[in-house]
Amino acid sequence: MLSFNQLLEPKTKYNEEQLVVLLNEQNNDAFNYLYDNYSGALFTIINQIVPDKDTAGDVLQEVFVNIWRKINSYDPTKGRLFTWMLNIARNAAIDKVRSKGYRDNQKNQPIIEGENSGITMSSNPEVTDVGLKKILTKLNEESRKLIDLSYFQGFTHEEIAKMLGIPLGTVKTRIRTAIIQLRTMIQ
Amino acid sequence: MNIQEYISSGVVESYVLGLLSAQERFEFEQFCETYPELKAARESFELAIEKQAMENALEAPAQVKERVWAAIQQKPAPKTSKIISMEPTSTKPRSFGWLAAASVVLFIVAGYFAYNYYNQNKELKTTNSDLQAKVNRNDSILNKMLEDQKMMMNPDVTVVNLVGTTPAKASANIYWDSTSADVYMVIKNMPKLPNGKQYQLWSIINGPGGQLQPNSLGLFDMGDDKKVILKMSNVKKADAFAITIEDKGNTGGPTLEQLQSMGKTKLQ
Repeated sequence: MLSFNQLLEPKTKYNEEQLVVLLNEQNNDAFNYLYDNYSGALFTIINQIVPDKDTAGDVLQEVFVNIWRKINSYDPTKGRLFTWMLNIARNAAIDKVRSKGYRDNQKNQPIIEGENSGITMSSNPEVTDVGLKKILTKLNEESRKLIDLSYFQGFTHEEIAKMLGIPLGTVKTRIRTAIIQLRTMIQ
Repeated sequence: MNIQEYISSGVVESYVLGLLSAQERFEFEQFCETYPELKAARESFELAIEKQAMENALEAPAQVKERVWAAIQQKPAPKTSKIISMEPTSTKPRSFGWLAAASVVLFIVAGYFAYNYYNQNKELKTTNSDLQAKVNRNDSILNKMLEDQKMMMNPDVTVVNLVGTTPAKASANIYWDSTSADVYMVIKNMPKLPNGKQYQLWSIINGPGGQLQPNSLGLFDMGDDKKVILKMSNVKKADAFAITIEDKGNTGGPTLEQLQSMGKTKLQ
Protein backbone atom coordinates (compact mmCIF):
# COMPACT_ATOMS: atom_id res chain seq x y z
CA MET A 1 0.00 0.00 0.00
CA LEU A 2 1.04 3.55 -0.65
CA SER A 3 2.30 5.70 2.10
CA PHE A 4 1.72 9.42 2.27
CA ASN A 5 5.43 10.03 1.95
CA GLN A 6 5.52 8.19 -1.33
CA LEU A 7 2.61 10.20 -2.64
CA LEU A 8 4.25 13.44 -1.69
CA GLU A 9 7.66 12.52 -3.03
CA PRO A 10 9.01 14.90 -5.63
CA LYS A 11 8.53 13.29 -9.01
CA THR A 12 11.24 12.38 -11.42
CA LYS A 13 10.68 13.81 -14.89
CA TYR A 14 10.92 11.46 -17.83
CA ASN A 15 10.71 12.21 -21.50
CA GLU A 16 8.35 10.00 -23.45
CA GLU A 17 11.04 7.79 -24.92
CA GLN A 18 12.60 7.02 -21.53
CA LEU A 19 9.17 6.45 -20.08
CA VAL A 20 8.28 3.86 -22.73
CA VAL A 21 11.56 2.00 -22.28
CA LEU A 22 11.12 1.89 -18.50
CA LEU A 23 7.46 0.88 -18.74
CA ASN A 24 8.42 -1.97 -21.01
CA GLU A 25 10.79 -3.09 -18.26
CA GLN A 26 7.81 -2.93 -15.84
CA ASN A 27 9.56 -0.21 -13.89
CA ASN A 28 7.46 0.85 -10.89
CA ASP A 29 8.81 4.39 -10.70
CA ALA A 30 7.96 5.02 -14.32
CA PHE A 31 4.46 3.67 -13.86
CA ASN A 32 3.99 5.77 -10.77
CA TYR A 33 5.01 8.82 -12.77
CA LEU A 34 2.72 7.81 -15.64
CA TYR A 35 -0.23 7.56 -13.31
CA ASP A 36 0.46 10.82 -11.53
CA ASN A 37 1.02 12.67 -14.77
CA TYR A 38 -1.80 11.34 -16.92
CA SER A 39 -4.56 9.94 -14.69
CA GLY A 40 -6.30 13.33 -14.54
CA ALA A 41 -6.41 13.83 -18.30
CA LEU A 42 -7.56 10.27 -18.90
CA PHE A 43 -10.16 10.56 -16.17
CA THR A 44 -11.56 13.61 -17.96
CA ILE A 45 -12.22 11.78 -21.20
CA ILE A 46 -13.64 8.78 -19.32
CA ASN A 47 -15.91 11.00 -17.28
CA GLN A 48 -17.17 12.70 -20.41
CA ILE A 49 -18.39 9.34 -21.63
CA VAL A 50 -19.30 7.80 -18.25
CA PRO A 51 -20.87 10.64 -16.21
CA ASP A 52 -21.05 8.75 -12.93
CA LYS A 53 -17.80 9.54 -11.11
CA ASP A 54 -17.55 6.22 -9.24
CA THR A 55 -18.08 4.21 -12.40
CA ALA A 56 -15.65 6.46 -14.26
CA GLY A 57 -13.12 5.76 -11.48
CA ASP A 58 -13.61 2.01 -12.04
CA VAL A 59 -12.94 2.51 -15.74
CA LEU A 60 -9.83 4.56 -14.97
CA GLN A 61 -8.51 1.73 -12.81
CA GLU A 62 -9.16 -0.78 -15.57
CA VAL A 63 -7.45 1.51 -18.09
CA PHE A 64 -4.23 1.82 -16.06
CA VAL A 65 -4.12 -1.91 -15.38
CA ASN A 66 -4.43 -2.44 -19.14
CA ILE A 67 -1.72 0.12 -19.89
CA TRP A 68 0.61 -1.71 -17.48
CA ARG A 69 -0.16 -5.09 -18.99
CA LYS A 70 -0.23 -4.11 -22.65
CA ILE A 71 2.59 -1.57 -22.81
CA ASN A 72 4.60 -3.89 -25.08
CA SER A 73 1.89 -3.61 -27.73
CA TYR A 74 2.39 0.15 -27.90
CA ASP A 75 4.17 1.04 -31.16
CA PRO A 76 5.81 4.51 -31.03
CA THR A 77 5.93 4.71 -34.84
CA LYS A 78 2.13 4.83 -34.90
CA GLY A 79 1.63 7.70 -32.52
CA ARG A 80 2.48 9.25 -29.18
CA LEU A 81 2.09 7.41 -25.90
CA PHE A 82 -0.64 9.80 -24.79
CA THR A 83 -2.63 9.21 -27.99
CA TRP A 84 -2.41 5.47 -27.37
CA MET A 85 -3.55 5.84 -23.77
CA LEU A 86 -6.31 8.28 -24.72
CA ASN A 87 -7.75 5.77 -27.17
CA ILE A 88 -7.56 2.96 -24.61
CA ALA A 89 -9.43 5.19 -22.14
CA ARG A 90 -12.05 6.23 -24.69
CA ASN A 91 -12.67 2.65 -25.82
CA ALA A 92 -12.89 1.35 -22.26
CA ALA A 93 -15.39 4.06 -21.36
CA ILE A 94 -17.54 3.35 -24.41
CA ASP A 95 -17.45 -0.38 -23.61
CA LYS A 96 -18.57 0.40 -20.09
CA VAL A 97 -21.50 2.51 -21.24
CA ARG A 98 -22.56 -0.25 -23.61
CA SER A 99 -22.27 -3.04 -21.03
CA LYS A 100 -25.50 -4.61 -19.85
CA GLY A 101 -24.81 -3.95 -16.19
CA TYR A 102 -24.31 -0.24 -16.84
CA ARG A 103 -27.45 0.11 -18.96
CA ASP A 104 -29.58 -1.68 -16.36
CA ASN A 105 -28.24 0.70 -13.76
CA GLN A 106 -29.07 3.74 -15.85
CA LYS A 107 -32.76 2.90 -16.26
CA ASN A 108 -33.75 4.92 -13.23
CA GLN A 109 -31.56 7.87 -14.16
CA PRO A 110 -32.91 10.86 -16.03
CA ILE A 111 -32.08 10.78 -19.72
CA ILE A 112 -30.71 13.93 -21.31
CA GLU A 113 -31.87 14.33 -24.88
CA GLY A 114 -29.97 16.07 -27.63
CA GLU A 115 -31.97 19.12 -28.69
CA ASN A 116 -34.51 18.57 -31.49
CA SER A 117 -32.95 15.23 -32.37
CA GLY A 118 -34.37 12.45 -30.28
CA ILE A 119 -30.81 11.09 -30.14
CA THR A 120 -29.51 10.66 -26.64
CA MET A 121 -26.49 12.80 -25.95
CA SER A 122 -23.72 10.91 -24.24
CA SER A 123 -23.47 12.81 -20.99
CA ASN A 124 -24.62 15.62 -18.84
CA PRO A 125 -23.13 18.82 -20.23
CA GLU A 126 -23.10 20.55 -16.85
CA VAL A 127 -20.56 18.25 -15.25
CA THR A 128 -18.30 17.57 -18.18
CA ASP A 129 -18.09 20.76 -20.17
CA VAL A 130 -14.35 20.82 -20.13
CA GLY A 131 -11.71 20.02 -22.71
CA LEU A 132 -12.93 18.59 -25.97
CA LYS A 133 -16.53 18.73 -24.84
CA LYS A 134 -16.24 22.41 -24.17
CA ILE A 135 -14.81 23.00 -27.60
CA LEU A 136 -17.65 20.95 -29.03
CA THR A 137 -20.17 23.47 -27.73
CA LYS A 138 -18.70 26.00 -30.15
CA LEU A 139 -19.57 23.81 -33.11
CA ASN A 140 -22.95 23.99 -34.78
CA GLU A 141 -25.62 21.60 -33.64
CA GLU A 142 -25.18 19.13 -36.45
CA SER A 143 -21.39 18.89 -36.16
CA ARG A 144 -21.68 18.52 -32.42
CA LYS A 145 -24.14 15.69 -32.75
CA LEU A 146 -21.93 13.87 -35.22
CA ILE A 147 -18.78 14.21 -33.08
CA ASP A 148 -20.72 13.16 -30.02
CA LEU A 149 -22.07 10.05 -31.70
CA SER A 150 -18.79 9.01 -33.26
CA TYR A 151 -16.22 10.12 -30.72
CA PHE A 152 -17.99 10.05 -27.38
CA GLN A 153 -20.44 7.24 -28.09
CA GLY A 154 -18.24 5.22 -30.41
CA PHE A 155 -20.75 4.57 -33.17
CA THR A 156 -19.37 3.63 -36.56
CA HIS A 157 -20.14 5.82 -39.56
CA GLU A 158 -22.48 3.09 -40.83
CA GLU A 159 -24.40 3.05 -37.55
CA ILE A 160 -24.71 6.83 -37.54
CA ALA A 161 -25.96 6.85 -41.14
CA LYS A 162 -28.66 4.36 -40.21
CA MET A 163 -29.55 6.20 -37.01
CA LEU A 164 -29.92 9.60 -38.65
CA GLY A 165 -31.27 8.31 -41.94
CA ILE A 166 -28.64 10.06 -44.07
CA PRO A 167 -26.33 8.46 -46.64
CA LEU A 168 -23.01 7.00 -45.44
CA GLY A 169 -21.01 9.29 -47.74
CA THR A 170 -22.72 12.34 -46.25
CA VAL A 171 -21.96 11.14 -42.72
CA LYS A 172 -18.29 10.71 -43.61
CA THR A 173 -18.03 14.15 -45.22
CA ARG A 174 -19.84 15.90 -42.38
CA ILE A 175 -17.73 14.22 -39.70
CA ARG A 176 -14.56 15.19 -41.56
CA THR A 177 -15.83 18.78 -41.81
CA ALA A 178 -16.68 18.85 -38.11
CA ILE A 179 -13.25 17.47 -37.27
CA ILE A 180 -11.50 20.10 -39.38
CA GLN A 181 -13.47 22.78 -37.51
CA LEU A 182 -12.44 21.15 -34.26
CA ARG A 183 -8.78 21.27 -35.27
CA THR A 184 -8.83 25.00 -35.88
CA MET A 185 -10.35 25.48 -32.43
CA ILE A 186 -7.80 23.29 -30.67
CA GLN A 187 -4.71 24.74 -32.35
CA MET B 1 -1.53 11.31 -54.49
CA ASN B 2 -1.69 14.94 -53.43
CA ILE B 3 -0.36 14.68 -49.89
CA GLN B 4 -1.35 18.20 -48.92
CA GLU B 5 -4.95 17.51 -49.85
CA TYR B 6 -4.83 14.26 -47.90
CA ILE B 7 -3.40 16.03 -44.85
CA SER B 8 -6.06 18.72 -44.86
CA SER B 9 -8.92 16.24 -45.45
CA GLY B 10 -9.39 15.67 -41.72
CA VAL B 11 -7.84 12.20 -41.91
CA VAL B 12 -5.01 13.19 -39.56
CA GLU B 13 -7.40 14.27 -36.82
CA SER B 14 -9.65 11.27 -37.40
CA TYR B 15 -6.64 8.97 -37.04
CA VAL B 16 -5.50 10.54 -33.79
CA LEU B 17 -9.00 10.54 -32.33
CA GLY B 18 -9.47 6.88 -33.30
CA LEU B 19 -12.28 7.50 -35.77
CA LEU B 20 -10.87 5.73 -38.83
CA SER B 21 -11.90 2.28 -40.00
CA ALA B 22 -9.24 -0.43 -39.81
CA GLN B 23 -8.61 -0.11 -43.55
CA GLU B 24 -8.24 3.69 -43.44
CA ARG B 25 -6.00 3.42 -40.39
CA PHE B 26 -3.73 0.95 -42.15
CA GLU B 27 -3.49 3.23 -45.20
CA PHE B 28 -2.71 6.22 -43.02
CA GLU B 29 0.10 4.35 -41.25
CA GLN B 30 1.54 3.31 -44.62
CA PHE B 31 1.47 6.89 -45.89
CA CYS B 32 3.12 8.11 -42.68
CA GLU B 33 6.14 5.98 -43.53
CA THR B 34 6.37 7.53 -47.00
CA TYR B 35 5.47 11.15 -46.28
CA PRO B 36 7.33 12.85 -43.43
CA GLU B 37 5.01 15.87 -43.72
CA LEU B 38 2.03 13.61 -42.94
CA LYS B 39 3.79 12.26 -39.89
CA ALA B 40 4.63 15.79 -38.80
CA ALA B 41 0.98 16.84 -39.17
CA ARG B 42 -0.05 13.83 -37.09
CA GLU B 43 2.45 14.66 -34.35
CA SER B 44 1.41 18.29 -34.29
CA PHE B 45 -2.25 17.38 -33.78
CA GLU B 46 -1.32 14.76 -31.19
CA LEU B 47 0.57 17.39 -29.23
CA ALA B 48 -2.34 19.83 -29.51
CA ILE B 49 -4.79 17.23 -28.20
CA GLU B 50 -2.38 16.23 -25.44
CA LYS B 51 -1.80 19.83 -24.37
CA GLN B 52 -5.50 20.53 -24.45
CA ALA B 53 -6.26 17.37 -22.42
CA MET B 54 -3.55 18.09 -19.86
CA GLU B 55 -4.73 21.65 -19.35
CA ASN B 56 -8.28 20.48 -18.79
CA ALA B 57 -7.42 17.48 -16.62
CA LEU B 58 -9.80 16.77 -13.77
CA GLU B 59 -8.63 15.29 -10.52
CA ALA B 60 -8.81 11.48 -10.65
CA PRO B 61 -10.70 9.92 -7.71
CA ALA B 62 -8.37 9.47 -4.78
CA GLN B 63 -8.41 5.69 -4.22
CA VAL B 64 -8.00 4.64 -7.83
CA LYS B 65 -4.20 4.71 -7.72
CA GLU B 66 -4.03 2.27 -4.82
CA ARG B 67 -6.57 0.03 -6.50
CA VAL B 68 -4.48 -0.01 -9.66
CA TRP B 69 -1.38 -1.05 -7.74
CA ALA B 70 -3.33 -3.70 -5.88
CA ALA B 71 -4.71 -5.00 -9.16
CA ILE B 72 -1.31 -5.39 -10.76
CA GLN B 73 -0.09 -6.89 -7.49
CA GLN B 74 2.87 -4.62 -7.25
CA LYS B 75 3.81 -2.13 -4.64
CA PRO B 76 4.88 1.31 -5.80
CA ALA B 77 8.60 1.67 -6.17
CA PRO B 78 10.45 1.90 -2.88
CA LYS B 79 12.07 5.23 -2.15
CA THR B 80 15.63 3.93 -1.98
CA SER B 81 17.34 1.12 -3.72
CA LYS B 82 18.37 -1.83 -1.63
CA ILE B 83 21.97 -1.64 -0.51
CA ILE B 84 23.92 -4.70 -1.47
CA SER B 85 27.01 -5.00 0.68
CA MET B 86 30.29 -5.68 -1.10
CA GLU B 87 32.23 -7.32 1.72
CA PRO B 88 35.58 -8.85 0.82
CA THR B 89 35.45 -12.59 0.41
CA SER B 90 37.45 -14.93 2.61
CA THR B 91 41.18 -14.95 1.87
CA LYS B 92 41.88 -18.29 3.58
CA PRO B 93 44.08 -20.42 1.29
CA ARG B 94 42.40 -23.49 -0.05
CA SER B 95 43.76 -26.89 -0.82
CA PHE B 96 43.98 -27.60 -4.53
CA GLY B 97 45.04 -31.26 -4.18
CA TRP B 98 41.58 -32.65 -4.97
CA LEU B 99 41.42 -30.39 -7.98
CA ALA B 100 44.67 -31.82 -9.41
CA ALA B 101 43.40 -35.37 -8.87
CA ALA B 102 40.10 -34.52 -10.51
CA SER B 103 41.85 -33.01 -13.53
CA VAL B 104 43.91 -36.17 -14.06
CA VAL B 105 40.79 -38.31 -13.89
CA LEU B 106 39.06 -35.93 -16.26
CA PHE B 107 41.98 -36.12 -18.70
CA ILE B 108 41.90 -39.93 -18.73
CA VAL B 109 38.14 -40.02 -19.16
CA ALA B 110 38.34 -37.50 -21.98
CA GLY B 111 41.05 -39.57 -23.69
CA TYR B 112 38.95 -42.69 -23.45
CA PHE B 113 35.96 -40.96 -25.01
CA ALA B 114 38.12 -39.41 -27.74
CA TYR B 115 39.49 -42.86 -28.69
CA ASN B 116 36.00 -44.36 -28.69
CA TYR B 117 34.63 -41.59 -30.84
CA TYR B 118 37.55 -41.94 -33.27
CA ASN B 119 36.78 -45.63 -33.79
CA GLN B 120 33.08 -45.04 -34.04
CA ASN B 121 33.68 -42.33 -36.59
CA LYS B 122 35.87 -44.63 -38.71
CA GLU B 123 33.19 -47.30 -38.65
CA LEU B 124 30.51 -44.81 -39.58
CA LYS B 125 32.58 -43.55 -42.52
CA THR B 126 32.90 -47.09 -43.94
CA THR B 127 29.21 -47.80 -43.46
CA ASN B 128 28.40 -44.49 -45.02
CA SER B 129 30.44 -45.11 -48.18
CA ASP B 130 28.93 -48.61 -48.48
CA LEU B 131 25.49 -47.11 -48.26
CA GLN B 132 26.40 -44.46 -50.81
CA ALA B 133 27.50 -47.12 -53.30
CA LYS B 134 24.28 -49.04 -52.71
CA VAL B 135 22.21 -45.90 -53.24
CA ASN B 136 24.05 -45.18 -56.49
CA ARG B 137 23.36 -48.71 -57.74
CA ASN B 138 19.71 -48.49 -56.78
CA ASP B 139 19.45 -45.09 -58.41
CA SER B 140 20.68 -46.37 -61.74
CA ILE B 141 18.30 -49.35 -61.53
CA LEU B 142 15.44 -47.04 -60.68
CA ASN B 143 16.26 -44.69 -63.56
CA LYS B 144 16.32 -47.62 -65.95
CA MET B 145 12.95 -48.80 -64.64
CA LEU B 146 11.47 -45.33 -64.95
CA GLU B 147 12.66 -45.18 -68.54
CA ASP B 148 11.08 -48.55 -69.28
CA GLN B 149 7.94 -47.49 -67.53
CA LYS B 150 7.77 -44.32 -69.63
CA MET B 151 8.15 -46.38 -72.78
CA MET B 152 5.33 -48.72 -71.78
CA MET B 153 2.98 -45.87 -70.86
CA ASN B 154 3.55 -44.07 -74.16
CA PRO B 155 0.25 -44.00 -76.13
CA ASP B 156 2.17 -44.29 -79.45
CA VAL B 157 3.55 -47.67 -78.43
CA THR B 158 2.01 -50.80 -79.93
CA VAL B 159 2.37 -54.03 -77.99
CA VAL B 160 2.94 -57.14 -80.09
CA ASN B 161 2.60 -60.48 -78.37
CA LEU B 162 5.12 -63.04 -79.69
CA VAL B 163 3.69 -66.52 -79.09
CA GLY B 164 5.79 -69.66 -78.92
CA THR B 165 5.65 -71.80 -82.07
CA THR B 166 7.57 -74.80 -80.62
CA PRO B 167 7.09 -76.97 -77.51
CA ALA B 168 9.78 -74.77 -75.84
CA LYS B 169 7.12 -72.01 -75.80
CA ALA B 170 9.57 -69.14 -76.15
CA SER B 171 7.53 -65.96 -75.75
CA ALA B 172 8.09 -62.24 -75.49
CA ASN B 173 6.34 -58.91 -75.89
CA ILE B 174 7.50 -56.29 -78.35
CA TYR B 175 6.88 -52.65 -77.48
CA TRP B 176 7.08 -50.81 -80.75
CA ASP B 177 6.89 -47.04 -80.89
CA SER B 178 5.43 -46.28 -84.33
CA THR B 179 6.55 -42.59 -84.15
CA SER B 180 10.16 -42.93 -82.98
CA ALA B 181 10.56 -46.48 -84.44
CA ASP B 182 12.05 -47.63 -81.10
CA VAL B 183 11.73 -51.34 -80.40
CA TYR B 184 11.87 -52.80 -76.91
CA MET B 185 11.53 -56.46 -76.16
CA VAL B 186 10.26 -57.79 -72.85
CA ILE B 187 11.24 -61.43 -72.35
CA LYS B 188 8.54 -63.60 -70.87
CA ASN B 189 10.02 -67.01 -71.46
CA MET B 190 13.24 -67.75 -73.40
CA PRO B 191 14.99 -71.08 -72.64
CA LYS B 192 18.78 -71.05 -72.31
CA LEU B 193 20.61 -71.94 -75.54
CA PRO B 194 23.61 -74.23 -76.11
CA ASN B 195 27.00 -72.53 -76.63
CA GLY B 196 27.46 -71.06 -80.08
CA LYS B 197 23.76 -70.28 -80.50
CA GLN B 198 21.90 -66.97 -80.11
CA TYR B 199 18.36 -65.77 -80.45
CA GLN B 200 17.64 -63.26 -83.21
CA LEU B 201 14.72 -60.83 -83.46
CA TRP B 202 13.32 -60.04 -86.88
CA SER B 203 10.80 -57.59 -88.21
CA ILE B 204 8.91 -58.97 -91.18
CA ILE B 205 7.14 -57.14 -93.97
CA ASN B 206 4.60 -58.94 -96.04
CA GLY B 207 6.03 -58.07 -99.51
CA PRO B 208 4.23 -58.12 -102.86
CA GLY B 209 3.15 -61.61 -103.94
CA GLY B 210 3.32 -62.95 -100.39
CA GLN B 211 7.13 -62.64 -100.35
CA LEU B 212 8.34 -62.24 -96.73
CA GLN B 213 10.96 -59.51 -96.27
CA PRO B 214 12.82 -60.11 -92.96
CA ASN B 215 14.98 -57.46 -91.32
CA SER B 216 17.26 -58.23 -88.38
CA LEU B 217 16.65 -56.21 -85.22
CA GLY B 218 19.53 -57.80 -83.35
CA LEU B 219 20.94 -60.94 -81.78
CA PHE B 220 20.65 -61.60 -78.08
CA ASP B 221 21.79 -64.13 -75.49
CA MET B 222 19.83 -65.72 -72.76
CA GLY B 223 22.52 -66.22 -70.17
CA ASP B 224 22.20 -66.43 -66.41
CA ASP B 225 22.34 -62.65 -66.18
CA LYS B 226 19.54 -62.26 -68.69
CA LYS B 227 17.91 -58.91 -68.94
CA VAL B 228 14.16 -58.66 -68.89
CA ILE B 229 13.89 -55.68 -71.23
CA LEU B 230 16.10 -55.32 -74.29
CA LYS B 231 16.42 -52.33 -76.58
CA MET B 232 16.54 -53.64 -80.14
CA SER B 233 17.26 -51.88 -83.47
CA ASN B 234 14.71 -49.43 -84.72
CA VAL B 235 12.24 -50.26 -87.43
CA LYS B 236 9.71 -48.02 -89.15
CA LYS B 237 7.53 -50.59 -90.83
CA ALA B 238 6.70 -54.12 -89.78
CA ASP B 239 3.77 -56.49 -90.30
CA ALA B 240 5.11 -59.01 -87.82
CA PHE B 241 7.97 -59.72 -85.41
CA ALA B 242 9.65 -63.10 -85.11
CA ILE B 243 12.40 -64.75 -83.10
CA THR B 244 14.66 -67.50 -84.50
CA ILE B 245 17.64 -69.44 -83.13
CA GLU B 246 20.78 -68.73 -85.15
CA ASP B 247 24.53 -69.37 -85.00
CA LYS B 248 26.32 -66.87 -82.83
CA GLY B 249 26.85 -63.61 -84.73
CA ASN B 250 24.62 -64.61 -87.66
CA THR B 251 24.83 -62.15 -90.53
CA GLY B 252 22.62 -64.02 -92.97
CA GLY B 253 18.86 -64.27 -93.17
CA PRO B 254 16.59 -66.04 -90.70
CA THR B 255 16.58 -69.81 -90.43
CA LEU B 256 12.82 -70.21 -90.57
CA GLU B 257 12.98 -73.87 -89.46
CA GLN B 258 14.32 -72.49 -86.18
CA LEU B 259 11.40 -70.08 -85.70
CA GLN B 260 10.70 -69.91 -81.95
CA SER B 261 7.94 -67.36 -81.62
CA MET B 262 6.03 -64.88 -83.72
CA GLY B 263 3.39 -62.16 -83.55
CA LYS B 264 1.59 -59.91 -86.02
CA THR B 265 1.57 -56.13 -85.54
CA LYS B 266 -2.02 -55.82 -86.68
CA LEU B 267 -4.90 -58.02 -85.78
CA GLN B 268 -6.37 -59.49 -88.93
